[in-house]
Amino acid sequence: MFTDRLSLLVFVAALGLLLLVLEMVRRRALAEKYSLLWLILSLVILLLAIARPALDRIAPILGIYYAPSALFVAGFVGLLVILLYFSAVITQLTRDARIAAQQIGILRERVDELENSGRQFSDDK
Amino acid sequence: MSDAKILVIIPAYNEQASIARVVNRVKECLPAADVVVINDGSHDSTSFVAYESGAKVVSLPYNLGIGAAVQTGFILAQAGNYEIAVQVDGDGQHDPGEIEVLLSNLLTGESDVVVGSRYLADRGYVTPLPRLLGTKILATYVSILAGQKFSDTTSGFRASNRRAIEICAENYPADYPEPESLLAFRKIGLRVSEVPVHMNKRYGGKSSITPFWSAYYMIKVILAVTILSIRRAPRSEDTAYVH
Repeated sequence: MFTDRLSLLVFVAALGLLLLVLEMVRRRALAEKYSLLWLILSLVILLLAIARPALDRIAPILGIYYAPSALFVAGFVGLLVILLYFSAVITQLTRDARIAAQQIGILRERVDELENSGRQFSDDK
Repeated sequence: MSDAKILVIIPAYNEQASIARVVNRVKECLPAADVVVINDGSHDSTSFVAYESGAKVVSLPYNLGIGAAVQTGFILAQAGNYEIAVQVDGDGQHDPGEIEVLLSNLLTGESDVVVGSRYLADRGYVTPLPRLLGTKILATYVSILAGQKFSDTTSGFRASNRRAIEICAENYPADYPEPESLLAFRKIGLRVSEVPVHMNKRYGGKSSITPFWSAYYMIKVILAVTILSIRRAPRSEDTAYVH
């Protein structure tokens, strides 16, 4: 199954990542939504590491002469996609946080004003 | 000078030394206007001092940056049915006495936004050379992208009519709002004009812009403005309305 040490190493690493992500989801340390890309990535690398014949066929098509290097290419591309996705998530979160903060500021001022006018009203009585 | 309902928006971040003076001057120059200080997560007593000097104070729970602070003011102007919004910096570098110049220009109805420019005429403001160079380069670049000549693209001393208020409440650039908004206004079809004003030395506090940072700032703004110029129109989900 593993004709070279590198593939074995990658297999172990990918399996470790897969188990770690699953465990984090189980403990609710990672939302399913954000674990999906990690699961896909670790599974793809895992499969490629096992399926050496497939890798040997795919690698030359990509111009990669040492087939196991294709594992790193796959990992790199996968990570780029994940990073870009999370940058988009951060952008959205920043916008949501800004809107929430603006509303809090405006509402707090309004509450203070209402409390003050309420106090004046009860003072009058 | 007019019966229009005016809101003066003063964004302030750690401006306890100058904010009272700015608020008092604004109230003195525009007795009929409402004044709101947007305290952008200050760590000093900006909020208290501003409140004591008679302004309405909206305190943001943490520092959102000048763009979001100013936008908060526009949201209030929009919700409160103000016809005109005036922006004045909390550090005192704008002379509230000159708001009138902005307003009289706005009231001709020929522009939606009037910007006070330091560089349109020699009004005694001496800019340090590296910064002058930076602002000139920036102004030239923004003018080219916007297709309109602007002399002072970093001025936050402005007056906006109702149409501009609605647009700014809905969407206002967050990172470098002064130059970016000029471009955004042009893209959305708002008419912008500049009038000459003079600027004071700051009353107190420290400017956030030093020579090194002004060069860095310029590069970042040029990148941001370039990206903005190819960006598609914003979506309305970017808004924080409180009805």
